[in-house]
Amino acid sequence: MELFSNLALGFATAATVYNLTYCFVGVFLGTFIGVLPGVGPLAAVAMLLPVSFYLPPETALVMLAGVYYGAEYGGSIASILLNIPGTPSASVTCLDGYPMARDGRAGVALFSTAIASFFGAIFGVVVMVLLSPALAEFALLFGPAEYFAVMVLGLVAASVVSTSGALRGVMMVCLGILLGTVGVDINSGETRFVVGMPELRDGVSLVVVAMGLFGISEVMVSARGATRSYATERISMSKFLPTRAESLRSIGPAIRGSAVGSFFGTLPGTGQTVASFVGYALEKRISPRGDKFGTGQIEGVVVPEAANNAAAQTAFIPTLTLGIPGSTTMALMLGALMIHGITPGPRLISEHPELFWGLIVSFLFGNLFLLILNIPLIGLWVRLLRVPHYYLYPTVVVLICVGVYSIDNSIFDIWMTLAFGVLGYVLRLFRFEPAPLLIGFVLGPMMEEFFRRAMLLSRGDPMVFLERPGSAALLGVATILLLATAIPRRYLPWSRTA
Amino acid sequence: MRRDRLISQVGPALMLLVGLAFVVGSTTTLELGSARRMGPGAFPALVGGLLSVLALATLIRNVRQPMEWDQPDPISVLAVSGGVIAFAFLTPLLGVLPAVVVSVLTTSSAVPQFRWSGRITLAICVSVAVWLVFVKGLGIPLTTIRGL
Repeated sequence: MELFSNLALGFATAATVYNLTYCFVGVFLGTFIGVLPGVGPLAAVAMLLPVSFYLPPETALVMLAGVYYGAEYGGSIASILLNIPGTPSASVTCLDGYPMARDGRAGVALFSTAIASFFGAIFGVVVMVLLSPALAEFALLFGPAEYFAVMVLGLVAASVVSTSGALRGVMMVCLGILLGTVGVDINSGETRFVVGMPELRDGVSLVVVAMGLFGISEVMVSARGATRSYATERISMSKFLPTRAESLRSIGPAIRGSAVGSFFGTLPGTGQTVASFVGYALEKRISPRGDKFGTGQIEGVVVPEAANNAAAQTAFIPTLTLGIPGSTTMALMLGALMIHGITPGPRLISEHPELFWGLIVSFLFGNLFLLILNIPLIGLWVRLLRVPHYYLYPTVVVLICVGVYSIDNSIFDIWMTLAFGVLGYVLRLFRFEPAPLLIGFVLGPMMEEFFRRAMLLSRGDPMVFLERPGSAALLGVATILLLATAIPRRYLPWSRTA
Repeated sequence: MRRDRLISQVGPALMLLVGLAFVVGSTTTLELGSARRMGPGAFPALVGGLLSVLALATLIRNVRQPMEWDQPDPISVLAVSGGVIAFAFLTPLLGVLPAVVVSVLTTSSAVPQFRWSGRITLAICVSVAVWLVFVKGLGIPLTTIRGL
């Protein structure tokens, strides 16, 4: 069986002490970041990008991925204990998790969350193992026109979910693509838009853009609203195990949640938040106890956690097989690969099997670490929430500076980071979200490349994008998505439960 | 009210400016090429054009229903920028660790309830952590303290 030899290769890569250590560091940091409301997994991954320069590519990816799905676990802790979601995707968990904690059943809620998260994640990994090779093989049939169309679809999906409207999202994508054109053009060797700054010849660095937009500007937005600390009341942690009836009742919801999550994870632009909302809404409708949801039912924490952890894993499918990031964090993962000179796309699995399968196996280890870490360490995370929150912000700013500086010892990069921070802040004031910009920035250069190649092959006929069935279908879906955003948000299922 | 409306146009207007700048920049300084062999200026000109059109559409739509905008918080922006600027100036002069200390002290002035004792403790802890993680742990060659 090819599958087993692949998994064996993955084990050989992931199970080294070196990679296991970084996997552990990743999930630990991820949980830490997830527990603290305010700094999300996106900022954490951005801050760790410079560190990943010093690691081999598989190790770097294993660690960054660990931060990402570790934050999903951590996010639910703050939701349950404080009714404040540590990460956006954990906000549904508040609905039933917090009432459970108020009833003195916080231990039970946290325990079942950990198990449900683990179950969801493993479900997602299995889907990924089964689906990715086939999808990558299919994608090998793509020509430049189809590639261009896939990227358009990815970018449209990314801008459609932006809360301030698709139009603004598309504008941010365009801005990102334009920023990506700065520097030497790979086709002609000409420098573009460097405006007299020789440092810009290699283009604007992804680390600088990500840190400025998501680190510095985020701190500017939240630093002044910082509260002393979140945890005020003592939480009883005496009991962990759910009753027998509760355990039996959770099996169905866990499977349904994982299935919903796996599906939404693979779609670009939706991600874990939508997955957990839809999973919860669906369960509420089909469960015989649906009317009791929101009063501290165990299904209410199991479903969203299974869904968002499954989605966190399956989000890697389009990222690694097509080279299309479904979310901003995934765009950073792609960026990390490109920094190491690895071109994402359907050839990734065949050209770097140790990276792909090693990463998958590391997911298994990482989730196991999380399961083991979380149950005994819940007390530690609770104590962490008592630390005054404002200690975080100066630390983040300094770590960003040191991180950016450590790449090239370049002060210019620090100034650029500040410029992007201020830009991000101003854009936020006017309700332009920075996330689509980053995805556009990562995909832009590839898009240009495929666009130019497709036009060359078609002898300059732009109709090629509509004549080839694959690309026409993809562009059609993108158009429908854009038009569908004209439907007011209140008709969408996930805004109704909120 | 009229002032609010005007300010709400700043965002889209900025976008329009950037879009036009890229269109003008790529058409005047770069080769556009032909549809078959596109030059380096063609793609940025197209995307810049798209951005300008969308920004213009937003500007027009904004006249009827102005998009809300948030009040800026100058203290927060100044304190955070100050921290970054301090780092950028002091690193070449004194080395990374003193820059870290000053940067933490500057940034923490954004938070009103942060006492001096806490700020100094945090500055020392963070610089020790930076030294441990970046210099000792990852072995990145940084000038920790210049002249040492």
